Amino acid sequence: MAARRSRALWPLSGRGCSWALLSLRPPWGWTRPMSTEKPGADTHFGFETVSEEEKGDKVYQVFESVAKKYDVMNDSMSLGIHRIWKDLLLRKMHPFSGTKLLDVAGGTGDIAFRFLNYIKAQNQRQQQRELKSHQNLSWEEIAKWYQNSRSPLGESHVVVCDINKEMLNVGKKKAQTLGHKRGLAWVVGDAEELPFDDDKFDVYTIAFGIRNVTHIDRALQEAYRVLKPGGRFLCLEFSQVSNPIISRLYDLYSFQVIPVMGEVIAGDWKSYQYLVESIRRFPPQEEFKEMIEDAGFQKVTYESLTSGIVAIHSGFKL
Amino acid sequence: MATLLRQSRLSGLLPRPQFGARSPASNSAALPGGRSTGLGLLYPGHIPTSPLQKALLAAGAACMALYDPYRHDMVAVLGETTGHQALQALRDRMRRDPEGAQILQERPRIQLSTLDLSKLQTLPEGSFGWEYARFLDVNRVSPDTRAPTRFVDDEELAYVIQRYREVHDLLHTLLGMPTNMLGEVVVKWFEAIQTGLPMCVLGAAFGPIRLSAKKLKVLISELIPWAIQNGRNSRCVLSLYYEQRWEQPIGALREELGITAPPIVWTGRTQSPKL
Repeated sequence: MAARRSRALWPLSGRGCSWALLSLRPPWGWTRPMSTEKPGADTHFGFETVSEEEKGDKVYQVFESVAKKYDVMNDSMSLGIHRIWKDLLLRKMHPFSGTKLLDVAGGTGDIAFRFLNYIKAQNQRQQQRELKSHQNLSWEEIAKWYQNSRSPLGESHVVVCDINKEMLNVGKKKAQTLGHKRGLAWVVGDAEELPFDDDKFDVYTIAFGIRNVTHIDRALQEAYRVLKPGGRFLCLEFSQVSNPIISRLYDLYSFQVIPVMGEVIAGDWKSYQYLVESIRRFPPQEEFKEMIEDAGFQKVTYESLTSGIVAIHSGFKL
Repeated sequence: MATLLRQSRLSGLLPRPQFGARSPASNSAALPGGRSTGLGLLYPGHIPTSPLQKALLAAGAACMALYDPYRHDMVAVLGETTGHQALQALRDRMRRDPEGAQILQERPRIQLSTLDLSKLQTLPEGSFGWEYARFLDVNRVSPDTRAPTRFVDDEELAYVIQRYREVHDLLHTLLGMPTNMLGEVVVKWFEAIQTGLPMCVLGAAFGPIRLSAKKLKVLISELIPWAIQNGRNSRCVLSLYYEQRWEQPIGALREELGITAPPIVWTGRTQSPKL
């Protein structure tokens, strides 16, 4: 019971910001995944212990088997709320025309498609405003305006990078169905070793992917490397629930309902058991914030959503 | 908060609350009967589940099986989660029969690795093994498409349900029913009477929903009464050591079991029966 009481010290409100006075007691029973582990050391795979080489393979297999039903399962498990979380991430990002986005672990493309839609909607609104302000146009001007509005995306571009080919295949098919033809690139790559040059992107996002990475610190360092100076790091990930009542209900739902859903809908109990266990293994908001700062990012903040079920961490390379 | 939940009436359904640390202990509840093994794994592929999870699984599997009849794994899951009492009764029946007790001891499996199909095909025509090989060939099925047991929390019962699944194809042969919807429903009626498994009962009751009116008529007027009568009269089909009976002529085997000839004969894989 003592442990529960100490949890009540956490702010009960949804927002937790870096400058709030929080008890910096680390959560009991957990040690932060050590970045200085010797090769061949062990790490966690959900609640199992596996070697580091094994973890990569096992995670690959999990996502290979869930790829086709990934989106259906996301909707079922979160009751559609994951869409709101991703929309909020985009709103926080607030990209403008010309932004180059790198979406890591972007698999089925949810963030990338939202980014493209956001930019297109923004450009459309801008063009409408321009049109309204120009009341008396000559035919030449109208013709020129239509020529210019050929590229609704402008210079904006998004690269979707994922280690898993199955997830990328699902994403590519989705792009075709949704009609996204330009401004997209699909690249196979490891978040710990990105196949891109330094200082290339304006924004780096990783949504629900970083907890599957074997060495989170390396992924953060890579994020720092590929971002341009002034670039922004954004991470949307499952995190710690502060409210003890909601936490209890959340645990119940996670461990009792989600694997059952995985078995019934996707025919795969074990992958979804891994999912809920890996969420418990991920560091809480404050600790993750410190890890981001260690990688060199500044002005690191986080915002908890849905009482802390997910959190958006943001940092800048300055 | 945890104490409130503990005292609630639902506490029997929920897993024991874990105080303090959200420790990475296995989330499996203690097994029924108060047993609790180290990892909770009784046999390879075992997934320990709490009563709440079993209830959710059963409901979800039933809905999914009706929605998508090609999800055979859902039928299997439904059988495993709802069959505890029926499996116990079945196991006790098998124990009382000398051949059944032998099966429970030796635990034979019917898989492609243990079966020699070419040898079965060389057996004399009309023998049980020959008929079985022909059935597999004509209906284009393989004995290896049975999902392994996962949600049964007793190792012996897990074997019983696995045996039931593997014997299912043999039942098709003995009853002379093909693997189309009509044939499956008839076999399900037979199995429901024999085993009492809730999954068989549900399958027998809801299976006919997807049949055409003509087939339904044949089913109700002739096939179901025949299946029920045979289910009642025959020996417990799981108590037979089929692996030792491949050479036995199928007529003799049917007589030993107490199964009469089917009222309808199917030729090959045609959907419409030869009346």
